[in-house]
Amino acid sequence: MGWVRRIDNIDKIDNVQIRSGGGKYMFIKVENLKKSYKTGEVSTQVLKGVGLILDKGEIGVILGPSGSGKSTLLNIIGGIDRCDSGLVSVENIIVTKLSDNKLTDYRRDKIGFIFQFYNLIPNLTVGENIEVVSNISKSPLHIDEVLDAVGMLDKKYRFPKELSGGEQQRVSIARAVVKNPKLLLCDEPTGALDFITSREILKLLQKINKDFGTTILMITHNTAISAMANRVYKFAVAKL
Amino acid sequence: MVINKKIKRTMLESKSQYFGSLALIVISCLLFTMFNLLSDNLGNITSSFGKNYVQEDANFIVNKKISNITEIEAKFNMKIEEGSTFDYSLSKDKVIRLFSENTKVNLPAMIKGKTLSGDNILIDPAYAKANKLKIGDSFKVYDKNFTISGFMSLPSYIYPLKAAVDILTDPNNFGIAVITKADLSALKRGNSFYSIRFNGDRSNIESKAAQFKDYLKGEDISIQSWTSASANSRITFVTTKLNGINQVSSSMPVAILLLTCILTGIVMWRMIKREAVIIGTLYAFGYKKKQIQNHYLRYPLIIALIGGIIGTILGALALKPMINVMVAYFNMPVGIVHFNIKYLVISILLPVIFLSAAGYLVVNRALKSSPLEIMRGGKENNKVGFIEKNLKLDKLKFSTKFKIREQLRSIPRSVFLLLGVVLATVLLLFGFAAKSSLDSLMKEGFEQAFKYNYSYVFNSIQQGSPVGGEAFSETTFTLKSDNKINIVAYGVSPSSEYVTFKDKAGKNLSTDKIIITSSLADKLKVSKGDTVKVINTLDSKSYNITIDSIAKSYVGNYIYIPMPKFNNMMNYPIDSYMGLWSMSKLNIPENKLLATVTKDDIKNAFNSMTAPIQTMVGTMAFISFLIGLIVIYVVTSMIIDENKENISLMKVLGYRKKEVYSMILNSSAFLVILGYILGVPILIALLGNMFKSLTMEMSIALPITISYSYLIIGFVIIYVTYEVSKALSKKKVNKISMTEVLKSRLE
Repeated sequence: MGWVRRIDNIDKIDNVQIRSGGGKYMFIKVENLKKSYKTGEVSTQVLKGVGLILDKGEIGVILGPSGSGKSTLLNIIGGIDRCDSGLVSVENIIVTKLSDNKLTDYRRDKIGFIFQFYNLIPNLTVGENIEVVSNISKSPLHIDEVLDAVGMLDKKYRFPKELSGGEQQRVSIARAVVKNPKLLLCDEPTGALDFITSREILKLLQKINKDFGTTILMITHNTAISAMANRVYKFAVAKL
Repeated sequence: MVINKKIKRTMLESKSQYFGSLALIVISCLLFTMFNLLSDNLGNITSSFGKNYVQEDANFIVNKKISNITEIEAKFNMKIEEGSTFDYSLSKDKVIRLFSENTKVNLPAMIKGKTLSGDNILIDPAYAKANKLKIGDSFKVYDKNFTISGFMSLPSYIYPLKAAVDILTDPNNFGIAVITKADLSALKRGNSFYSIRFNGDRSNIESKAAQFKDYLKGEDISIQSWTSASANSRITFVTTKLNGINQVSSSMPVAILLLTCILTGIVMWRMIKREAVIIGTLYAFGYKKKQIQNHYLRYPLIIALIGGIIGTILGALALKPMINVMVAYFNMPVGIVHFNIKYLVISILLPVIFLSAAGYLVVNRALKSSPLEIMRGGKENNKVGFIEKNLKLDKLKFSTKFKIREQLRSIPRSVFLLLGVVLATVLLLFGFAAKSSLDSLMKEGFEQAFKYNYSYVFNSIQQGSPVGGEAFSETTFTLKSDNKINIVAYGVSPSSEYVTFKDKAGKNLSTDKIIITSSLADKLKVSKGDTVKVINTLDSKSYNITIDSIAKSYVGNYIYIPMPKFNNMMNYPIDSYMGLWSMSKLNIPENKLLATVTKDDIKNAFNSMTAPIQTMVGTMAFISFLIGLIVIYVVTSMIIDENKENISLMKVLGYRKKEVYSMILNSSAFLVILGYILGVPILIALLGNMFKSLTMEMSIALPITISYSYLIIGFVIIYVTYEVSKALSKKKVNKISMTEVLKSRLE
């Protein structure tokens, strides 16, 4: 595991603990990010001034229990949710200031998503599921090349129903990688998998990080995963 | 059961699907109730009108006055009444046919106003309406002023055709009127004719009529024209129309109901799939299969009952206006509208039975699995469909692949969409095809074949050389094997200038041979060289006519025989004739004429006939738009529902709004186009059969044609419907949030 950078210090911003790495090109910068949800008369503040940084090519892991706001943070960084205040910058793009259309372009060009439950389209084959993304990408990688990289080339014409959970997650990774994104956001990528399969998936993500130089930000509640990260952020339970 | 509380909530969650089913049931019950009640009422009106106002069994003209009427009435157990009639031209095109008031046969039925007395006139309401005549208005016939005392119907003129061989009425330019016998004789005009009606047993009218004709012959009375009620379009056309209504009322609502059944089946199946965990849990808690079945069967039952009741009420409410529309065609006294309870009950029960059956099949099939299997989404959850699996789409564009896969995802849904579009297409083009077919009938049937502008029919046989025009004769036959098929035989000049026919190959046919119209040839299934066995309606004698050629003409059950042959066959003097055709108006004294028909009459009649067809086309287009819109909108909503997570995923992946619309909403475009393409031949086949059975007893054959312009207009309407439903669905797509995909669970 020589390629994993040593984690050397811990910072604390509000309810988030930060272990910050050494000075490299800052790829993601999150400052004083606040977000609350309103349900009827009750307002719940999920993020109370969160900060985070990640350098280019790094793997970042956000740890924390359910309901701590880690998914909300990932969604705002990924441009699928909006914050109340604060700043999110990805590769010098101020994500928090983008219009809806610009946000669509941002997701389309820069971000790859990997979900806990894979979210493959059930009536499309493996190859076609990857085409969902390559179809709208400016310069996508070759589908077969990506499928080969995730070890699923021989199952290109299978349907998701015919695959195991681990295989479906591999397809989901291939789908995220095919457009060669700058940032890969993974929401509990091993949450639905057994231990051995989880290990394989994490290895695959490390390989992608290494081979394609993709920056990866991953959320999990599995502390063991933090071993592979350059930076680890820990969420405490949100105070209401 | 407490779980029944969720029925309303579930329905409101999938409004479009349940309201779509409801709307289809309402339309189908509305049509079922309206058409069946209409047919029932028109049937009652027709039969009671005939009975109460002593409708004739036949009318005829003879060469001399029948003096021993009382004796004949006793001998043949019949009523016989002499009447008088003449056509009075109000202007170049406008004619009113005046009748003397009968007291025994064909009694005028008062629709509005006062009964007849001296100096008064009764007019048919359609003519009065078209010519803005009111009760109390003055009406001048020659020099005599009459006062319109009321509107009436004559049982012998239910469908007021000017000439017996016409097919279209024209209330603008032709109407009937009744004045007292004294007033008519004071006008010193009119041709005498007789109307008869047999009393007692009415099962064998034709043979009684034949005996009566023999009797007249024995008395040296020669019959110049004889029209049986069964062969009189003015009387029988209403029956033809009723048959048409019966066909529509039996087929269309059932087609819509079947469509609703498919829809309900799909909706139920999807709901059970969606609620699999709930069902499994209820099973696990000890609920019995029957209890769960009862719960899920309530959905189709509620929809069927509500839809059935609303549709039936609307159908019953639409009855009176529909009868009024029909009475504008058929001149009959309406009386009290009768709501046959049988049809009302059937209309409510039909959707209940249909939908419950469809719902039961689906629910029962789903509940066959064990609770655990149900919770896991059924036995076949991990199997990929055969078509899906074996379809090779590698070479297609991604968006095309996506759309094809989307349609294959739910075959019943695609079948429903396809059938819905086919039905909408058939309904839409029904009106267009009717209009188009009549247009071509007019063009090919009348304008190309008949070159004369005036047709004069004398009230007695003429002899010698005509003063102008071209002589012709006519007589009517019935087919020996089927007395309901009437045939008109014309004696024409062997080198006629006024009737020109072509055969199927487009070759001109000479009138020196015996020619049969293709409409009649098709009906009798005869070809060149065959012999047609017929009975003359005047003398009831049998004749054999051998066909030399078949003319491509869809108008009339006509046979054209060279004049010398005709006169020889009918035993008429060699130089005799009955009428004249000419290009210009001939100066013939009115008292010598039985009827005058101009080409303009036919054109005017055609125009006034096609005017209501425009309304029909519009109504049909609207209904089909509605059905199309409901079906496409419901299917689009289903597609959106099924693709909620995929749409959300696409948005997350960076698909733009337009791209999402294109992938999801355009996925049905192919089926909409296919449905339209399939709808056209289905319509032509259906309409062909329908017209064939409708025109079986009429003197025309309507070849179904539909012009390209109508096909394009039809396609545009269907496609616009699709676009409208897409536009309505866009909101739904926009509403789906990107976080939807994050909530989803395992596939």
